[in-house]
Amino acid sequence: MAKEEGIPLSPGRKTRSSSFSLSSSLPQNHRTFFSHTHLELLHGHCHSEESISLDTLTSSLPGRKPQIHEILRLIGPLNSPMLPLLLYGGPSTGKTISVLQTFRYLNRPFVYAGCRTCYCPRILFNSVLRQLLIHEKNAGKGSSGARRCEKPSEFIDLLRISLIQVVNALRERNLKLGSEESDRGNMIYLIFDNVELLRLWDKSSTIVPLLLRLSEILKIPELGIIYISSSSPDAYYLCTGSIEPIPVYFPDYSLEDLHGIFMRNQSNPNLYSSFLSVVLKPFYRVTRRVDELSVAFHPLFEKYCDPLSDQCLVLDEAMKRRLFDNLQPHLASSLNDVFWVPSWASHQLKQEGEHRQKRFWKSIRKEASNELDFHMSMSVKYLLLSAFIAARNPATLDASLFDSSGGSNNPKRKRNLQTSLDKKDNMAEEILLKGPGSFPLERLLAIFQCITSVAESMVEDDHFENDFAIENENFRLTSDVLLQLSALCNANFLCKSGSCPLEGSTRYRCTIDEEMAVKVARSINFPLSSYLYRR
Amino acid sequence: MASEKTLALLRRRLCDPSFVYSAFKSSPNGNYSKLKFLISNTITEACNNSVLLLGPRGCGKGAVVDLVLEDLKSELPEIISVARLNGLLHSDDNCAVKEIARQLCMENKLLFSKMASFDDNSQFMIDMLRECGLAHKMIIFVLEEFDLFTQGKQRLLYSLLDAMQTLTSHSVVIGISCRMDADQLLEKRVRSRFSHKKLLFTPLTTDDMQRLLEHLLYLPTDSSLPSDYLKEFNSNINNILSDNKFKEILDLLLAADNSISNIQRFLYQAISSMHFQTELLTLDDLKSAFSYHQRQPMLDKLQDASILELYILVCMNRLESREQDSYTFNSVMKEYKAIQDAYKTSDNYSKSVCQRAFEHLIERELISFANNRLRNLSVEYRPVRLLLSSQELYQSLKSNASCPAILQRLLNYETYR
Repeated sequence: MAKEEGIPLSPGRKTRSSSFSLSSSLPQNHRTFFSHTHLELLHGHCHSEESISLDTLTSSLPGRKPQIHEILRLIGPLNSPMLPLLLYGGPSTGKTISVLQTFRYLNRPFVYAGCRTCYCPRILFNSVLRQLLIHEKNAGKGSSGARRCEKPSEFIDLLRISLIQVVNALRERNLKLGSEESDRGNMIYLIFDNVELLRLWDKSSTIVPLLLRLSEILKIPELGIIYISSSSPDAYYLCTGSIEPIPVYFPDYSLEDLHGIFMRNQSNPNLYSSFLSVVLKPFYRVTRRVDELSVAFHPLFEKYCDPLSDQCLVLDEAMKRRLFDNLQPHLASSLNDVFWVPSWASHQLKQEGEHRQKRFWKSIRKEASNELDFHMSMSVKYLLLSAFIAARNPATLDASLFDSSGGSNNPKRKRNLQTSLDKKDNMAEEILLKGPGSFPLERLLAIFQCITSVAESMVEDDHFENDFAIENENFRLTSDVLLQLSALCNANFLCKSGSCPLEGSTRYRCTIDEEMAVKVARSINFPLSSYLYRR
Repeated sequence: MASEKTLALLRRRLCDPSFVYSAFKSSPNGNYSKLKFLISNTITEACNNSVLLLGPRGCGKGAVVDLVLEDLKSELPEIISVARLNGLLHSDDNCAVKEIARQLCMENKLLFSKMASFDDNSQFMIDMLRECGLAHKMIIFVLEEFDLFTQGKQRLLYSLLDAMQTLTSHSVVIGISCRMDADQLLEKRVRSRFSHKKLLFTPLTTDDMQRLLEHLLYLPTDSSLPSDYLKEFNSNINNILSDNKFKEILDLLLAADNSISNIQRFLYQAISSMHFQTELLTLDDLKSAFSYHQRQPMLDKLQDASILELYILVCMNRLESREQDSYTFNSVMKEYKAIQDAYKTSDNYSKSVCQRAFEHLIERELISFANNRLRNLSVEYRPVRLLLSSQELYQSLKSNASCPAILQRLLNYETYR
């Protein structure tokens, strides 16, 4: 392909690491403190990096100053023991990044284990032990090889041994160095992230109390433990009572904080702040999360800057008014979108330089949404549609919708259908509430048979009209239906539901929604609406 | 400088459970004295004994055992060896016996093999008991979370208590549990071998409380701090402790939870505020520490919700007040659309945006699914319920500055239509 300048990836969700990385418009030599990504922070704690000052810490995390102060005073001065802390707050409120940056400022050794990446106890234990090993190595002591453990009792033993070794190594290192290098203290801190996921694990009844009481079980004063969680402390109360860690609350960002966050790392602050003054308030009513707002703002900002030829222009009132008028129609549609992912079609059209027309913008969206983005074979499409019909219609309607030959073109049949539909008013309410039902395999195959026989007869009519024969083998529909069925299950379009123990046959559920079914039906010219039970 | 040293000293004190509970060491009727008396008697009379320590969480059971064992080890160094087990970790019999064998080996400097089987380990334990008995040594078994050992067949408890019945063994079994009925959980044969001695940990009286606070907060006169600072600090503490306002705060704090660990955490928060500023501890520090204790997480979460999320909560509240026993996201959307049609507010959003707000509410645990059985259905069709009461919703809407007035009106069902 000639044009290989790179396919623009979808803006995607802004994660913590990407919002802290450089935006592309900053010149290369302007690397500041903010360029450290999340991962670098985690791995950099072992080496002596340049430490940061308190002002840099609080200014890099707008809106989090009171929380950072609280964490600092609860952790306390060097070599001072601490009671366990629990930091809680909604998702995307800056808990993890605040703790990690605080430890960078404090320059004390810590071990970080996230319960999302370490998704079972064994991995969590091994991760903690491995990081402690790295600390031992850095503090100058050689070590025996990596230790592995499965059970909690082994973990506690090994953890106690490792911690004592690390603390001794740190103490010796501090004695040797004297006042030349910065004293990193004798204490080591364990940080557990995403603790609310622990409650969903298999052995949660032993793991949750074990982790929450780690400091009491180990009884090592040089250990400090910090838990980060999205749920409030009352989610961790156990039946037999529990010792609570000290809670620190992280509220969601206010309007001013969000303004501060979005204004960071902007190449043209005036332009962006006038953009924010238009956009922030309406979106704030819908959601307050930074990642969702940044996804929504990115395309809007491009739209906002479109009429401007020179991006570094200083704005006056008239210009602002014009830009706002330009943006206004897109605001309403953007507020009602969850996120927008550009598809292939829109990308190619953009390459052809036609993206500046407003009308086309809307039509790109419509086009992208009307077609299926991936390929499915004919029989799979029919199978999917028959599953959708089986899920949406109550089983008793099948007799009136399909006769033994499969056709539903009979006018007398249509009248019967209408009367039987009117009798079942309550069923519509139930279907609305309960959602699509499950259906046994036999019913699915029966409907599939009926539909495809109709389709074949329609196609044969078409064939008689057109004189040339189409060599398409697809229209034969002789493929192994059960194989296609398992392919659909693997792709999660169908899923297995509970089966009746008496009958023994498995039941399935259809997981696609109406939009997608309509798309599939349109691609094969199938009259879906005439088969669906609707009020 | 002096304030930094004070801060370090106080923090060290509060994070050390032995120091906290050593306030009650000297009382003659306290559990410390009773336990020490029991164990020393067992040593001198060369017999076996078992005792249960019962009390709510955070009242000092483990700390008392640690204090007693520490004292006895310093007085009689060669005689005592200790094996500690925890119900959370070692409730499985294999695990427990292996752990006992490992700890006994470590104490007596023997080699421990990880490959030893359950029979080997239990045989080793019995032999060890016999040998120690003959050598006039004592083994003390400390079983924490005792109630977790009583699950299953109680093989470990039976074998331990049974081994104690022989003439040659000297051992004490100390069980620690926060369930007051832990001894009722024992099987008949185990209970018959158990001496029914229980030490109960009762809540503190006001005198005890006063003693504890003085013990924790007064600086010792023999420390290395300058004496005038010492006098100033101690007199300041004296003023605070006798202040009526402080007594009110303390009463409110203890009304919710009067365990020692609650006081420990409260004082820790107050003292840590000395980190950034003052020289002395003030009443304001104590007041702000108390306000941290009074946080209400539900109301905080409601303050954080966006306007659309508040709309959804109000719709669910209306559905519940109409006594619909089960409703799904689709019914909530119907209600939302009906409200938008009736009042034509500016907050009319599409279904996908509302669904995202709905999922946020589920993440925050303000609402939840009503039953876990229908996990395969998508979010729109599963029945949900509110996890807050109408009172809390009403209160938070009132205190929310940016909430539209219509939401408060909508909370009352009668004003609709």
